Amino acid sequence: MEQGTKEANAHQLTLPIEGMSCASCVRTVEGALDNLSGVEKATVNLAGGKVSVVYDPTRVNVAKVTQAITDLGYAIGVEEARLRVTGMTCASCVSHVETALRELEGVQNAVVNLGLETARVAYIPGLVTPGRMKRAIREAGYEAEEKAAGVEALDREKEARQREIRRQGMYLAFTLPIAMLVMLGTFRDMWILPLFVPEWLGYKWVLGLLTTPIVLGPGRQFFVNSWRGLRHGVTDMNLLYATGIGAAYLIAVINTLWPKAGFGGEGATFFESAALLTTFIVLGRWLEALTRGRTSEAIRKLMRLQPKRARILRDGHEIEIPADEVEVDDVVLVRPGEQVAVDGVVLEGYSAVDESMLTGESLPVEKKAGDQAIGGTMNKTGAFKYRATRVGQETALAQIIKLVEDAQASKAPIQKLADWVAGHFILGVHMLAALVFVFWFFAGYDLFFDPDSAFILSPYKLGEIGVFGFSLLLSVTVLVISCPCAVGLATPSAIMAGAGKAAEHGVLFKNAEAIENASKLQTIIFDKTGTLTKGEPSVTDVVTPDGGPETEDGRLSVLRLAAIAEKNSEHPLGEAIVRGAQARGLQVPDAESFNAIPGHGVEARVDGREILLGNRKLMRERDAVVAPLLPQAEALERDGKTVMFVAVGGRLAGLIAVADTLKEYSVEAIQWLHRSGVEVAMITGDNRRTAEAIARQVGIDRVLAEVLPQDKAEEVKKLQAQGLKVAMVGDGVNDAPALAQADVGMAIGSGTDVAKETGHVILIKEDLRDVVVAIEAAKATMGKVRQNLFWAFAYNTLSIPIGAGLLYPVFKLVVSPEWAAFLMAVSSITVTVNTLLMRSFVPSIRREERRQQAAQRPLVVAATASGGK
Amino acid sequence: MEQLEREVAIRSAATYAGISLAAALAVFIAATLKGGYADVARFGGAIWVFMLMMIVTMPVVTSWFKKRYRQRRTG
Repeated sequence: MEQGTKEANAHQLTLPIEGMSCASCVRTVEGALDNLSGVEKATVNLAGGKVSVVYDPTRVNVAKVTQAITDLGYAIGVEEARLRVTGMTCASCVSHVETALRELEGVQNAVVNLGLETARVAYIPGLVTPGRMKRAIREAGYEAEEKAAGVEALDREKEARQREIRRQGMYLAFTLPIAMLVMLGTFRDMWILPLFVPEWLGYKWVLGLLTTPIVLGPGRQFFVNSWRGLRHGVTDMNLLYATGIGAAYLIAVINTLWPKAGFGGEGATFFESAALLTTFIVLGRWLEALTRGRTSEAIRKLMRLQPKRARILRDGHEIEIPADEVEVDDVVLVRPGEQVAVDGVVLEGYSAVDESMLTGESLPVEKKAGDQAIGGTMNKTGAFKYRATRVGQETALAQIIKLVEDAQASKAPIQKLADWVAGHFILGVHMLAALVFVFWFFAGYDLFFDPDSAFILSPYKLGEIGVFGFSLLLSVTVLVISCPCAVGLATPSAIMAGAGKAAEHGVLFKNAEAIENASKLQTIIFDKTGTLTKGEPSVTDVVTPDGGPETEDGRLSVLRLAAIAEKNSEHPLGEAIVRGAQARGLQVPDAESFNAIPGHGVEARVDGREILLGNRKLMRERDAVVAPLLPQAEALERDGKTVMFVAVGGRLAGLIAVADTLKEYSVEAIQWLHRSGVEVAMITGDNRRTAEAIARQVGIDRVLAEVLPQDKAEEVKKLQAQGLKVAMVGDGVNDAPALAQADVGMAIGSGTDVAKETGHVILIKEDLRDVVVAIEAAKATMGKVRQNLFWAFAYNTLSIPIGAGLLYPVFKLVVSPEWAAFLMAVSSITVTVNTLLMRSFVPSIRREERRQQAAQRPLVVAATASGGK
Repeated sequence: MEQLEREVAIRSAATYAGISLAAALAVFIAATLKGGYADVARFGGAIWVFMLMMIVTMPVVTSWFKKRYRQRRTG
């Protein structure tokens, strides 16, 4: 914080600096700052990573000081504050709060989310505090508090929403019946109404008496809120409402008390306009409060998953404690039907755990000693003990919640235009209202006014309304009919729903830009090892020669002998053979003797027989003839497999092929991508022959082989230079530069450590089909964004000119303020309801899965039934 | 600091109120010169335009003055 020093003009500030490592850094920073005109003294504290600067604020500002530091290659330590902001009603409020925050010295960036009612502020500690930010928000006419985390935040948010729903619901219950009475009274001379509407209800002063409590009661909120904003020089939707309601009510009062005042006389008392206008706006607010919470349903679901209690072992006793009190290394017990409290590693026990809520995996996952347990998931049948490894905000669930919240609160590039429009909307509409008034007041009324003209969808004639009344009416209608809310809500509400929906299916978008980019992808590059393939070799083929034991038993016998020979080998291929034998249920005892022949293979004695396992060269040297299996060996090698010959007692017994194998869903995922018209490529450091063999198996036709890890990003760049939108799918470790370079970097199989991954999208499971899920979710989200934006812009583009009387010269019809209010409310709700349709989004792969499961269910039931007999 | 902020507030208030009054006055004079408008229409029209112009100019002028004040402060 700036503090005055002894010298009258000098200020002092302390800035956190990142990246200083030695005394030379200290000299560099101090030297650069001392050279800055206006800086009197700069002192760096290396241990504390801070610089204290005494400066003359009339000659240099904080921005120049920070610029000088960042120009040197150091970073200013920026922290993030999360605030909960209430009282915002529309997109222009978002712009006001963001402006109020960004104007504070030390605030680097501020992003406000209307739907979540949050502000994320990046700031330089020491220059500004969250307390100062809250004050700035309050000064702008809104309420702010520091955002609570997790369940507490959920509870508070829910409570506030319920309060708003109750408040607007009560207002609605009060205004609706009275507004109906006012309408009946206004139109009592029409149709069959005189038969049952008493005459006194049509008296102007009765209508005035009924309307006044509506305007001064539920309508008061708009006047109070707009005044609060105006005091701080900001305008929002409340002002549009207040001017609309106020003008309609005032004209009605004037026409009742002074009918000759020139506002249209007694025939033009707009009490019903003021009453219905208030009612429709309150209805809109109520519906908005009801629906707004639902777009953030996904995050609510995730937060609700946070376990409340945990059963742990302490000093040999089983005790139950709050889940947030579990510490790392505590032993946690989980019984059937209980929730896993925190992340950890299973120590003992066996169970199946439903992880669908976090990974989207529909089938329960087996848990045995050594497996990872994820907090928030639901244990099904068995019981197990596990050791806590991550607790509190470190758990996978907490990280996922944070990532989803961040993505929901971020802004997509497409939002820039909408933000600009929404930010200038209120002023623009008021300017337009002034122009409309001036036009009709000085020219339009004389040229076009017809006393027989009427309101749209109303038998109510304009009658003898004067030039001022008519011009004011159209001017007010422009204010009321315009709807910046729809423009402002179009993108963030869809992003919120889309990011949440994707998270439900195990796909985490880190920000809205990633969603937008993922919806436009043309090329997807897959890393080979560890992404398309399992990343470790395994036995793929065992072949025996003609005349040999060419049965399953014969092949297993060859594999068993090879495994015994390789049992003590540390070579990856040897380990693969041992694993392959064990996976086929073979016993692998120790060999009687073992000798590794570097670069060639191994020799061993098993059951008194000499076993030789290795390449052609080894066989040639030991006079074992490989010719009978040479054609098969060459064919396997063409498929990218490594072939090892097995000789027993100097005679060829068979060959074993080992290769890195494809992951379970690789082929399926590539097929889906091909069908959706995306070009698929594979990138690998392997030689071209092996790479092409894998590409053939998986169905990829573009292969980027022999690419070093550091050159992968260059390959991505080359494709981008061709104008393609490129995604890179990798395991997030050695692919980090390529993931960062791609338009969308997808880190796959991140398991529980989601926050540490590079890339813009994290696929929680090791299921490549989630790439398709990510693309489909992004396309669905951006589809909603485009629909919402189209609706919002189309509505305003059409409604505002009609409200301004553009059609009046031809049709002699004007929109009444109450209809204007109704249309405005409907427009805003339409955007939210359209977004809510995202709730039914199911990726095509999941739909297919469900269809298959449903088709299999009768068979399983039938099999169980017959088994039971 | 507070003194300067007050100065900014006063200057911007004087400016936006002045612009709005000028616009309102223009409407009033134009209506009077054109003739045929009742007093209520002339005064009402001027007040309505004044209100709308206040709403339009208040945030624009205030933020313009604030920006100028900040620029001046940093030289």
